[in-house]
Amino acid sequence: MRVTRGVKITAGAALLALAVAACGGGGGSDNSGSGSAAQPVRIEIAEPQNDLIPGNTGETSGAEVLNALFIGLVDYDDQKKPVNRIAESIDSTDQTTWTIKLKDGYTWHDGTPVTAQNFVDSWNYTAFGPNQQQSNYFFSVFKGYDAMNPQDPDGEEGPKKAPEPTATTLSGLKAVDDKTISVELTHPYSGFPTMLGYTAFYPLPKAAFESEGKMKADYGSNPIGDGPFKMSKPYKRGTDQTVEMARFDGFKEGKAKVDALQYKIYTDLNTAYNDLRAGNLDIMDQLPPEQIGGAKAEFGDRYIEQPSSGIGWLGFNIKSGDTYAKSRELRTAISMSIDRATITDKVFSGTRVPADDNISPVVAGYRKGACGEACTFDPAKAKSLWESNGGKGVKSIDLSYNADGAHKEWMEAVANNIRTNLQVEVNVKPYEKFADILNDLGDGKVKGAFRMAWIMDYPSPENYLRPIFGTGGSSNYVQYSNKEFDELLNKGDSAASLDEGVQFYQQADDLALKEMAYVPIYFYTTNGAFSANVKNVKIDPFERIDVFHVERA
Amino acid sequence: MGRYVIRRLLQAIPVLVGTTFLLFATVYALPGDPIAALGGDRRLDPQLVSRMREQFHLNDPLLVQYWYYLRDIVSGDFGTTFRGVPVSSLFQGKFQVTFQLSVTALVFEAVIGVGLGLWAALRRGRWQDQAVLAVTLLLVSIPTLVSGFVLQLVLGVKLKQNTGIDFFPVAGIQNGMRSYLVPGLVLAGLSIAYLTRLTRTSLMETLRADYIRTAVAKGMSRRRVLGRHALRNSLIPLITYLGADLGTLMGGAIITETIFNLPGIGQQLFQSVYLRENAVVVGIVTVLVLVYILANLIVDLLYAVLDPRIRYE
Repeated sequence: MRVTRGVKITAGAALLALAVAACGGGGGSDNSGSGSAAQPVRIEIAEPQNDLIPGNTGETSGAEVLNALFIGLVDYDDQKKPVNRIAESIDSTDQTTWTIKLKDGYTWHDGTPVTAQNFVDSWNYTAFGPNQQQSNYFFSVFKGYDAMNPQDPDGEEGPKKAPEPTATTLSGLKAVDDKTISVELTHPYSGFPTMLGYTAFYPLPKAAFESEGKMKADYGSNPIGDGPFKMSKPYKRGTDQTVEMARFDGFKEGKAKVDALQYKIYTDLNTAYNDLRAGNLDIMDQLPPEQIGGAKAEFGDRYIEQPSSGIGWLGFNIKSGDTYAKSRELRTAISMSIDRATITDKVFSGTRVPADDNISPVVAGYRKGACGEACTFDPAKAKSLWESNGGKGVKSIDLSYNADGAHKEWMEAVANNIRTNLQVEVNVKPYEKFADILNDLGDGKVKGAFRMAWIMDYPSPENYLRPIFGTGGSSNYVQYSNKEFDELLNKGDSAASLDEGVQFYQQADDLALKEMAYVPIYFYTTNGAFSANVKNVKIDPFERIDVFHVERA
Repeated sequence: MGRYVIRRLLQAIPVLVGTTFLLFATVYALPGDPIAALGGDRRLDPQLVSRMREQFHLNDPLLVQYWYYLRDIVSGDFGTTFRGVPVSSLFQGKFQVTFQLSVTALVFEAVIGVGLGLWAALRRGRWQDQAVLAVTLLLVSIPTLVSGFVLQLVLGVKLKQNTGIDFFPVAGIQNGMRSYLVPGLVLAGLSIAYLTRLTRTSLMETLRADYIRTAVAKGMSRRRVLGRHALRNSLIPLITYLGADLGTLMGGAIITETIFNLPGIGQQLFQSVYLRENAVVVGIVTVLVLVYILANLIVDLLYAVLDPRIRYE
């Protein structure tokens, strides 16, 4: 049995290939996992969708990165109430005209002080329609927004183009002096200070602009911020797998506990989770649902579980839909036939909790059990309510959803619940993409039930009501329109303070809950975990990691 | 020879123009509004959507859009994605990552696949041959998703947790060549099986040829018979397979790249088709078509090296 030459050659080549592979360790990083001082704290994100510009960042990964680079006028405490950061005070006598005073001592990473003009420049840039900033709509409460965003006379489909804007700045926004901003809104709004903690309201430095109102092309890849960390090298979106940051020592509120951060971009949560287990990653603020059980056991007190701001509904087309969609009693019967507890437990492995209000538990103003009997699983009652209101005449129920999110399993589970408990045929209708279903909803083509979700923009009950139930609201796909409801929202808005406004919001919420146009199904939870290299990891209601207080273990 | 190569390259031009148009039309025909999809779970302001549609000529008919695209290409502008990233910068490094991954996989294929095949052919009918058959069947039947995650867990996570050996990275490309070992092996899995069977068959067929019998009859040593006559002749189908496989690996490593978080072209292509980023899809596939054409040309030229009877005039 002599070894033939061919085999010898190939065996030699194999060894050679392995040897080459083994010594080619170019650009290798220290993966010892011991948390040495040279190693940054590594945080998992998905790829930010847009350049790192506050007004154009509407998704969690981009917001996570900007949260380390920037701070705004306010932040939120454990009660989700706004607390001042750069703002010294935010005052108003009539809730329409606001005066914002700034603190001294905050500086940009390039050393220049943060001034009132920086906020004005940033907000004007985002509010100007032609700049195509995703968070543009936040500024619609400002006076002068309409002149910067003229409406297309015959809709987006029509041949006519929208007229050119007649203004490049918000008429209701002025920097009175270096430390004072005056704001005029289109209507009284007590929740205004609460809005100001959102990413879209960060300031921008003079260095971001080439000329008046024109941003430098490369600012979004290497932003100069005013937060506890600064960019240590430009981030090339689409090519780079990491965003690298170093501590900014000139930060007024003190030094962050760690000297470097590295945001690692992953396309698959399972991959990131394996890296976390192997010690090549330090913090994840969302885990793959199928790994939750294992994570609890493996990470112990380094596993984080807390409520998050998201809510999932089942919506009905109550104006032009099928018979069951138009009847409040039949909608309530459908709601009562859904076993929320089993679905959140079995389908979502506990990453969701049954919903009992339209307002998320993370917001001041949430009431446990606000929805009452209508959101409680009771198959017997559901069936009698269904049959006493003509449910027997319903041929079939449609449930539409978008298949590009992980919705198939729970929609099938809901369909089974309804089928079994109401003895009616249920068809599940997947749409390929979320955008497709939104188009059909906008055109009123969805006649039955559909799934919808909402993640808050800022922690106010109003943010869970106006866009969803308000007349003409941006996500009001159920066509709900109720004068009394709108008036209650306006009362809440013009209350002297947020706390006084809450009761009006809750009354409005009760109206919406009684209507059952959107049926609350579940609240989201945040599930995270961190490695043994770090400690003191906190996640805020926006699902952002508090990087200022993270320490090396 | 030189003239032959030039003729082959010239033939590639109409192929490329044809593919770009076909692709453009295919992506154009996909349902849904790519701009509206940019908002994710939020509905974008209609004003913003109509402005962006205008900017990317999305309201124009197919031929007009294609014309704009070609016009920009000729002036050296490959366009930007809907999210404002220049398409040319998307390619930086991504082709390199995928190329490194594909070449690693090809090396594994050539070494393991050809090695196992030769061994099986020389021991045909014995237990070694049966064992190789069993291994190849196993390789064919395990999907990449399974082998990828299992190897990642065993070699990347468990090995380090239990023994402290930190040789195989879990994911990413920060560890140079080491990063490509496990993904390369996973990617090569299926092709290793094919190559093994192909090598075995090809070599056994050659060994039955007349000239081999003649060589043995005139007393040539077994080693020379195998090395000089048999092996060289049975390499032709293998080279063909490897050449075609390079193109397949370059465009089809989507799952492997996702599992091991390698920022390569497969992943990019998948996302771009999903987001209907016409400019990116057409750009990537054009390069892939070029890779195919070049790989085929190199394979054809290698035939001439292996078999003196083949001449290109």
